Amino acid sequence: MLSINGTEGGGQLLRSSLSLSLITGKAFHMTCIRGARPKPGLMRQHLTCVNAAAEISGAVVEGAHLGSQELTFRPGPVRAGDYQFAIGSGGATTLVLQTLLPALLHAPGPSTVRIEGGTHNPLAPPFEFIEECFLPVLHRMGVKASVALGRPGFMQSGGGILHASITPVKKWKKLDLHERGDLVTKFGTVLNAHLDGGIVQRELKTVLGSLGWEPDTVNVRAVPESTGPGNIVMLGARFEHITEICSSVAQMGRSAEQVGSSAAKGLAKYLENDAPVGVHLADQLLLPLALAGKGSFTTFALSRHTMSNMALIPKFLEVAFEVIEKERGMKEICTRHQTARLQTSDLKSRA
Amino acid sequence: MCVFVGDCRRVCVKRWGCVFLLPGACQVVPTGPINALEPLISLGKKAHNYFSGPFWPIEKIQSCLYTGIRVYPDIVSAHRPTVVIGFIGVQLDRARGPERWSRWRPTVGLCQHEDLLVSRFELIFDPRHEPLAREVMADMRTCSPETQVNLVPMPVRDPWDFQEVYEALYDWVRAYPFDAEAEDYLIHLTTGTHVAQICWYLLNEARYLPARILQTSPPRGTNRGDTPAGEYSIIDLDLSKYDRIATRFAQEQEQTLDFLKSGIATRNPAFNRLIGQIEQVAVNSSHPMLLTGPTGAGKSLLASRIYELRQQRSGLAGRFVEVNCATLRGDQAMSALFGHRKGSFTGAQTDRPGLLKEADKGLIFLDEIGELGADEQAMLLRAVEDKTFLPLGSDKPVRSDFQLIAGTNRDLRAEVVRGTFREDLLARINLWTFALPGLAERREDIGPNLDYELERLSRGQRKQVRFNKEARDRFLKFALSAEARWSANFRDLNAAVTRLATLAPRGRITEECVEAEIGRLKDAWLRPGEEGEATVPCKLLPSLLGEEACAEIDPFDLVQLEHVVQVCRDSVSLSDAGRKLFTVSRKSKAKSNDADRLKKYLARFELSWARCAGDTRRKT
Repeated sequence: MLSINGTEGGGQLLRSSLSLSLITGKAFHMTCIRGARPKPGLMRQHLTCVNAAAEISGAVVEGAHLGSQELTFRPGPVRAGDYQFAIGSGGATTLVLQTLLPALLHAPGPSTVRIEGGTHNPLAPPFEFIEECFLPVLHRMGVKASVALGRPGFMQSGGGILHASITPVKKWKKLDLHERGDLVTKFGTVLNAHLDGGIVQRELKTVLGSLGWEPDTVNVRAVPESTGPGNIVMLGARFEHITEICSSVAQMGRSAEQVGSSAAKGLAKYLENDAPVGVHLADQLLLPLALAGKGSFTTFALSRHTMSNMALIPKFLEVAFEVIEKERGMKEICTRHQTARLQTSDLKSRA
Repeated sequence: MCVFVGDCRRVCVKRWGCVFLLPGACQVVPTGPINALEPLISLGKKAHNYFSGPFWPIEKIQSCLYTGIRVYPDIVSAHRPTVVIGFIGVQLDRARGPERWSRWRPTVGLCQHEDLLVSRFELIFDPRHEPLAREVMADMRTCSPETQVNLVPMPVRDPWDFQEVYEALYDWVRAYPFDAEAEDYLIHLTTGTHVAQICWYLLNEARYLPARILQTSPPRGTNRGDTPAGEYSIIDLDLSKYDRIATRFAQEQEQTLDFLKSGIATRNPAFNRLIGQIEQVAVNSSHPMLLTGPTGAGKSLLASRIYELRQQRSGLAGRFVEVNCATLRGDQAMSALFGHRKGSFTGAQTDRPGLLKEADKGLIFLDEIGELGADEQAMLLRAVEDKTFLPLGSDKPVRSDFQLIAGTNRDLRAEVVRGTFREDLLARINLWTFALPGLAERREDIGPNLDYELERLSRGQRKQVRFNKEARDRFLKFALSAEARWSANFRDLNAAVTRLATLAPRGRITEECVEAEIGRLKDAWLRPGEEGEATVPCKLLPSLLGEEACAEIDPFDLVQLEHVVQVCRDSVSLSDAGRKLFTVSRKSKAKSNDADRLKKYLARFELSWARCAGDTRRKT
């Protein structure tokens, strides 16, 4: 069984391990889960991911309880089906989807997933990022999957709904993503639920001032259907080959100006560079890249998540990553050619 | 035979309908034929790879275990599902519109913490607030799909009425199927009236409610990361600082115990019979009682118990007054007992009612009554017979309807013969005489008393103190042996327990503690001049020869010499003493030389007739 030390990692290390374990069928034993965090061990949102992963594979789990710093996960074969999950305290639905998606792409049949919780959370990709940035890249790799926003939901109250339908991938296509292509459009959305209009105006003012955009570039969408109050600023740039969205969520103790400028800074940073894959997308693309066996993409900065994912994935899959800095701000991540790729026959026999 | 050992955190039941203990560090140690258990054994080694499932409480495991498997009782899951019990906050939980999610609502907030997973919430509400309860329940479900919310209607007309709230909660708690082995209970104390909080507290403290206390508070500030969920803290009453309330509760509980024996399961049949008689007399008679027995036998405790019993059963209204007559001397004695009028003697600047008057309609315990002077005895006799007496310096009799219990460690009949105690007073108080045995005479009760004292001490200090088994056995072995003299009876035992409990490292009394205590007790029981082994009662010799000289004499000789000196003191001359001491052997002698034989004997100890007989003899 694989031993994974979780001291340095956070929830992302756990979620990646779960995805990889589901795909490969390899059990793992994780110790010191979130060991360096102020409240170490499994929190509710992590438990939800563990339980969801266990449910789609009939896994046997040891140590799946609140605060647990040790987890043994022994997956069974991934089963296709229509799944429903609900996350407490408005936890991020997109993170649960990210955990399950790669596994369900290897299930014996098509699946649907309905996840209830938060759809626009801090420290998680918003729904739009999944729909407009992440999935289009996967589509190019031969994946047939779509998501739909049933209802937006924010932290604390939750009540948001994310639908996903996933068809098993027949054959992974090689990914080569090094160019953005021509700029198609820049856009912005402020999603606002039950918060004072003044807040939205202040956010808008900051964003427009900071990026020098025309007022009509950003549209404001009121979402009265949200259970609780919440607000997110999402700023994007659509290119020929890639779309990037930078977002920032309103939270208690954060001024509207801080929310606006944080999102604007993120997009400005992306626009300063030429590499197509943004910081967050980079770490999400590592696993599909490894599953495809060969391919490469270019990004401009390696986040901690990306680094730890590059270290984790080879523990489960016979693959290794290489980073080639072509020039300043252009880092190419590719799978190493000489290593054997994962045998698709292996995957099928498990299914 | 098969034994599971180790730090087993989880117990699961799956396949073959048998029980598996999952690790921690589960080991399965086969110690005999194990055919039937083979699958269990083989899986036990790597059990943690195979099983997960519902947690089972230990009783269930024990009841379904194969014969011959021992499960160590400390195998209890540390991860029980959390159950919160709490009132709805009629004010705090009430909020409308989407903005309610930005407000701190204690009940909803409890379901919004990332590090607290409430599996079940028993939400108590008055039927008048049912709409609110349903709204809150809906929000709890939204933000915490993992939580099962049970609505518990509890009609309470006046939530500030202590009795009504207590009864309602008590009934509910008694009917609730608590299973503390399987679930972790938290009482939410922040919602509900203060009266409800007090009731929760009392029920919890009385252990009707195997729960810890949960307090919630609004978010401290508006820092980033703060959420409307607010903050929560869990208090385990067992570990907290509410000593005074706890002590009072312990006292109240004690009173319901077997009264006169203080709830101690004494085994000595004679003592138990005696207590039975005392109980009968105490309840059915208000006449004086006389308790005799050595000091520390528990006369004073028994007297106060009798008082409390009469207070309960026959509504004794007055106070319990306890006096040790040995502490009363001269005028002070009269005035202390019977009071005085202002100006009746120097220093009597105000009227004083006296102890007998204080015990009006109550009970007075006169300990060591043999020490009372003649005047006090006379006055007491009158007070017992007529219920009246004359305070010092007053010619107007005072009336006091008191009940009397007297105590003594002397033989009052002998005192009557010697003329130091009034015969008529003895006759008055001698109606019911009970002789309490010393601790050494009822050694079989030392064990129960030991447990009782330790328990009482632990409760009083809110600190659990326990013997380990070897230590308790060692202490009892010593306590029951003839070596243990228990000369001050229960005072010795109480002192020993107090010392043991105080010195016990981390609440465990070890064998070393006991050995040290045995040493202390032995030292305490040594009489002056005694080396430990000898137990010779010497009254005259130490003053005659000096303690050091006594220590030089063999115990064998010491007894003889003591007797000889006593006889000398009781005799008029050396020959007289000789005659008494050699009364048998002198008959067979042609010439009696008693005086000479005695003189030579005394000379061996450098004693002369004059020194032996002492000054008193010379006077006469």
